[in-house]
Amino acid sequence: MNASTAALLAGLVLLFPLAGSALCGLLGPVLGRRFVNLAGTLSIGAAFAVTLVIFAQVLGAASGHQSTTATLWNWLNLGPGNLNVSVDVTIDQLSVLMLLVITGVGLLIHVYSVGYMEHDPGAARFFSYMNLFIFSMALLVLAANMVILIIGWAAVALSSYLLIGFWYERESAVLASRKAFITQVIGDVALVIAAFLIFVNLQAVAPTCPPTAVCGFIPGHLYTLSLPQIFANASSLGAGSPLITLICILLAVGAFAKSAQFPLHTWLPDAMEGPTPVSALIHAATMVTAGVYLIARFHMLFEMSPIASGMVACVGMGTAVMAGFIALSQVDIKRVIAYSTMSQIGLMIYAVGIGAYAAGMYQFLLHAFFKALLFLAAGNVIHAVHDEQDIREMGGLDSRMRVTAWCFLVGSLALAGFLFAGMFSKENLLGFGLINGPGAPTLYIVGIVVNLLTGLYAFRLYGTAFRGEPRSEAARNAHESKAVMLWPVIILAGLSVLAGWILQWPVAFGPHLIDAFLNPVFSQYVGRPPATAPGLWLGVIGFVIGLTCSLIGIAVGIRIWVRHDLDPSRALARPGFRLLPRLSFNKLYFDQIYDALLVRPTRALARGLRRVGDPVMDSWIKGVSGVATDFSSAFRTIQTGLIRDYASYMVLFVVIFTVAVMLAAGLAK
Amino acid sequence: MLSQSMFPWILLTAAFLFTLGALGVLIRRNPLVVFMCIELMLNAVNLALVGYSSYLNSEEGQVFAFMVIVVAAAEVVVGLGLLTRVFSIGRELDVDDLDEMKQ
Repeated sequence: MNASTAALLAGLVLLFPLAGSALCGLLGPVLGRRFVNLAGTLSIGAAFAVTLVIFAQVLGAASGHQSTTATLWNWLNLGPGNLNVSVDVTIDQLSVLMLLVITGVGLLIHVYSVGYMEHDPGAARFFSYMNLFIFSMALLVLAANMVILIIGWAAVALSSYLLIGFWYERESAVLASRKAFITQVIGDVALVIAAFLIFVNLQAVAPTCPPTAVCGFIPGHLYTLSLPQIFANASSLGAGSPLITLICILLAVGAFAKSAQFPLHTWLPDAMEGPTPVSALIHAATMVTAGVYLIARFHMLFEMSPIASGMVACVGMGTAVMAGFIALSQVDIKRVIAYSTMSQIGLMIYAVGIGAYAAGMYQFLLHAFFKALLFLAAGNVIHAVHDEQDIREMGGLDSRMRVTAWCFLVGSLALAGFLFAGMFSKENLLGFGLINGPGAPTLYIVGIVVNLLTGLYAFRLYGTAFRGEPRSEAARNAHESKAVMLWPVIILAGLSVLAGWILQWPVAFGPHLIDAFLNPVFSQYVGRPPATAPGLWLGVIGFVIGLTCSLIGIAVGIRIWVRHDLDPSRALARPGFRLLPRLSFNKLYFDQIYDALLVRPTRALARGLRRVGDPVMDSWIKGVSGVATDFSSAFRTIQTGLIRDYASYMVLFVVIFTVAVMLAAGLAK
Repeated sequence: MLSQSMFPWILLTAAFLFTLGALGVLIRRNPLVVFMCIELMLNAVNLALVGYSSYLNSEEGQVFAFMVIVVAAAEVVVGLGLLTRVFSIGRELDVDDLDEMKQ
């Protein structure tokens, strides 16, 4: 693909959602709901169509020529040795895979939203924000310049803020959106600092800048934030140096904030305050996967810093276990799924941390299908039981919402990693953990626990919400959703069932198509040799162990919550375990800890400063304004509107002037 | 030809008339009287101009006096036009009552 084609196609992918956002936002309220529904979904449909063209182009390109970087326009040019930002886009296997999910799953979610938001008066605003979300995410993955990437990064945070707080009359929604945004900003700041560090420290590796030429203020310094240049010259940052470690940790903090990893994870469950399609979009297609993408995109830098990548792997796996544990006792249907996302994203982060990038992206792809499926199916449930989200108030929905229940079961199996999507990607990912990563295979063993937990909470959710007898009037009267909300769910269920088998054919634990597709990206710049795939026998063993654990989790989950012939309360009443349910239910008290450690001291400080600052600041500000006010009000009384007054002023000043002139003349003599 | 000794008296008369006019402008409330007082001030200036002209043996003062008379006539035309308009919209003829400039 030549550069101008790439620029055109990437420009179109970006333009359609942006135009859709503007149209829905500006004309939507005037032209009505039909227009909004059409413009909002067609824009994403068009972007998806263009993405398919790009995908075909990338597939068809000769090997070694699949990556194209094109300049849309030159944004900022401050001369050599200073900041130069051109709006560059990169089309390669990684960005096109991301785009396929973002626009493809995004399209299904938009179609679903047509039904979900049917009775909401703010539909125009909703679709405007959703399109903006898709645009921001597309900008983020296409960016070939760190400035552009950060703009996309921040725009994603903005759109999530707008969507989480979509029902702004609800206080909890506003608080949740604020929390999400503040957490995002922490990540943004880390990312910006990382960009600064790269900007000032990056030096040209020999051939790009001959020693006699001046490439910046300091000879040899590049002063660029263009990603291909950063990667090509990354070795100048010094492999294993404190600098590269710092940069990578800052990048990782950015990724953790976006991907809801410990310790910046608390915003994600609260983000469930937004409408359900938003949750699906945040969790499946966009946003939380941005952190995984970021680390995969900057893999060259992470490979140069074993400390940072090891930390990423540990945090990822730690979050995966933690979220799985918390998900076991949550009662809000969406929150359980939110914690499952956090857990699955943790696995992805772990994968990119140990250098198994393709495995991480594989998990991302399949996760997008079954997570969007789970959320949209949950949306159907919530719709059917009149906005009730507590699973204790549901039950017995499988006979009342047959299609949704089946789809949800497919999603749960895919999530738990049996037969469908999750089985392939998760075992593949954990297989890498057998021989890679810090202290291998320690984290692999933790990963197996995650498998167990996933099976448990997935079937706790399914069993409690869909099986048994209905436990509320709303659940008894629940009925299936209409077609526009059912078809996206069915399509996603189909994808969850088939995608893994197709991509993995013919062997479940062997190399998969995504691996072959993405590997050129990750071998283009190499900091250290990437993770090695486990050999055939080790792979089989890992696969079998992982699958067994998933199955144990599923089986126990089914026995406890579907068939009710196993009661965990006795086991949990024992002294050592008594604390566990409380810890899980209260989300390990993270919100309370942060509240006590950060929110309250900050508030107290602010109040204290206000007590001191208000009098000080106010006194001089009020003094200045007071002088001006007094001055003007003194002069205002002169203007009476009476001609006689004006005439007397005239006479008065003529007399004063005359006397003054005469005095001056007299003095001069 | 006036005698030179009369010149101060001419100036004093002019100053007296001017002061009288100025006071009238400031004190009186009837716009017609105010106009007459303005005329009085202008004519006091004319008197001073003519006096100086005679004292300095120059025509310029007298020429200037004619200018002043023309300007005064024009001013009366405009002023009386304004006054008739004010009267025709039913307003009382009182300069203190015409204070819309304040707003």
